[in-house]
Amino acid sequence: MPKLALTSAIALAAALACGSAAAQERTVKIYGFGAKSGVVRIFGLNSEAAMKAAAEQVNKAGGVTLGDGTKARIVIEYYDDRCNAEEGINVMRRIAAQPDAFVAIGPTCSNVAEPVFGILQKKAGDASDSGLQFPLYTDVAAKGGLASISQWSFRNVPNESAMYKSLFEWIKATRPDIKTVWGGVEKDFAHSNATFNAMKGHAEKTGFEVKGQSEWLLADTSFATQVREMRRGEADLVMVSAHPFTTCGVLKEMQRQGVKPKMLVGLTSSSSLETLQGCAAQAEGILIPTSFAPVNPDAKRAADLVGAAGASMDLHNAAAWENVFTLKEQIERAKIMARPDTIQEDRRKMREALASMRETTGLLGKVVRTDDREADKPFLFVRAEKGAWTVAHTPK
Amino acid sequence: MNATDLVDLVQSVVDGVMFGTTYALIGIGFTLIFGVMHKINLSYAAASVGAAYLSLILVKVAPTPLVYLAAALLGGVLGALIYYVCFRFLPLDKPLATLMSTVGMLLLLEEIIVHATDGMPQNYPAMFTGAVWDVGPFMIRGDLMFVFVLGCIAMVGLRLLLTHTRLGLATRAVAQQPVAARLCGMSVDRTNASTFVIAGLLGGTAGAMTGAAIGMLSPLLTLPLTVKGLVVTVIGGLGSVPGAIVAGLLVGGLENFFQFVRGVGERDIYVMALLFAFLVFRPGGLFAAPGGRD
Repeated sequence: MPKLALTSAIALAAALACGSAAAQERTVKIYGFGAKSGVVRIFGLNSEAAMKAAAEQVNKAGGVTLGDGTKARIVIEYYDDRCNAEEGINVMRRIAAQPDAFVAIGPTCSNVAEPVFGILQKKAGDASDSGLQFPLYTDVAAKGGLASISQWSFRNVPNESAMYKSLFEWIKATRPDIKTVWGGVEKDFAHSNATFNAMKGHAEKTGFEVKGQSEWLLADTSFATQVREMRRGEADLVMVSAHPFTTCGVLKEMQRQGVKPKMLVGLTSSSSLETLQGCAAQAEGILIPTSFAPVNPDAKRAADLVGAAGASMDLHNAAAWENVFTLKEQIERAKIMARPDTIQEDRRKMREALASMRETTGLLGKVVRTDDREADKPFLFVRAEKGAWTVAHTPK
Repeated sequence: MNATDLVDLVQSVVDGVMFGTTYALIGIGFTLIFGVMHKINLSYAAASVGAAYLSLILVKVAPTPLVYLAAALLGGVLGALIYYVCFRFLPLDKPLATLMSTVGMLLLLEEIIVHATDGMPQNYPAMFTGAVWDVGPFMIRGDLMFVFVLGCIAMVGLRLLLTHTRLGLATRAVAQQPVAARLCGMSVDRTNASTFVIAGLLGGTAGAMTGAAIGMLSPLLTLPLTVKGLVVTVIGGLGSVPGAIVAGLLVGGLENFFQFVRGVGERDIYVMALLFAFLVFRPGGLFAAPGGRD
């Protein structure tokens, strides 16, 4: 009898162990995609690192609760779209074909986001539209207004227009000596070009005189002519809407030609390690609005964890981090089952959950969701000082 | 156009001509290899930028001139490597074989740079950045002047090498009459490899000078430099070293001229239109190489 009891106990323990292992094995996959090769590879690497670090934190805290009450670990699978529209569409279709895919985060480039959103069903529930019915929660691609393309597209990117409006108003209020502005724009990059128009518009509306603008291309090797135009403009403030390579090229040329405006304003994407690595000395003092800086315990912790994963946290991958936590909440709220036989229903429920959000929790505070599926994120202004980004002002 | 515009226009063109030295060096590399082997090495500019990247290893431990020297030497090493990978064992009678192998090498080198640096721009040391000479209303920049002078020295050195050394004699002999050169006991393979090394030395110098002139390196540089190098080679005349020099300076100057007059949106259209004009009306370029091979 004791022998039978012992055998039964061992069998029961084994069964429980197996059951526990099975529960432990339950996973929910969140797909991501962005540029992991090509010249903007750093964006994809940083996003992937932030998503994985965030998923690890969720898993350490017990994982995500599915619709049937079981707990699951979040697993991140990240694809490379090379910041190329065709690749992006291929990746989107590949993800949508997976039997375990019900939501994805990405892409990193606006020139990819635009066509990818275009292959999604424009209006949810429209039977005449054969577009993909797959919810996408974008972290990086920042060109204004893209989420309006499809009701399946959602973004957690900063409202750059609002950021520059606030920035110019602050400059106007605090620096009465600045009256004139000269612009510089990387004409062949969608984000730079679109943001430049917003910058210029707000500068004019705030009462600054925009004296002119210099233009260059992303792969240009000489900026002498453009900076000479800038020098002739003799503006108090120079605003540069370009990514780090040409921003640094222009700033170095400005130094060579002795162009020293009273103030420099840069593009949101340039408030990164890249700019400091490329031209910290020339970028000294440049003022940039951003939706991330390690200014509170949560943001510092997130930056540390992403840093430990070998990446650096900036406004772009901070959104990727936030998105993973938001998706965890929405998976629980929408009672996602995450089974192959429920996947179509899960995608629909996920879209509805994302569409019904009115507010999410961001690293700098509450993020208000807008009716057009965009985000209204808290932001601050950072300034390059001695090779580091420091907070210059936090708008109330 | 007022006097200030005119001064700025002249200044822009002068800056462009001086920066055009780097285009000339890249063009010489293309034309040298074409002259000897009648093949286009499309990976040449990428290897030049790659050599400049490799020289960054020394940037913290060596003075800037040594970094430039390292770039040139590493360019030579990459040149030899490209010869053995993309040319030596491929059927040279099939033009597409080497063309495609060098396209592959171009993409491979670019992706290696991207993966090694995560695509992040890298600071590249420059010399004489603070030196500016005012000549009347014009400004001569020390850094661009340095690039120009070093480029000229490299071109003169190449000229001397081609005309006053046994290697130069062999190179010219193989370029003109490979069969006769072989009958005279010259090793065509070794001469070809040497040509790649010489072109690589120039390419490494061009990569370093480009980095110095911009102040940074980026994988974004590989494709534009390849295109500029090809434009310069065609305008100068395939196989003509003096042609590549003149065309490089011309393209640099015209680029800035059109940038000034028509803006960035149209600048490249005019440079490409010039290329088409040469292809249609003077396909041999400015200085078509005389004679040919058997």
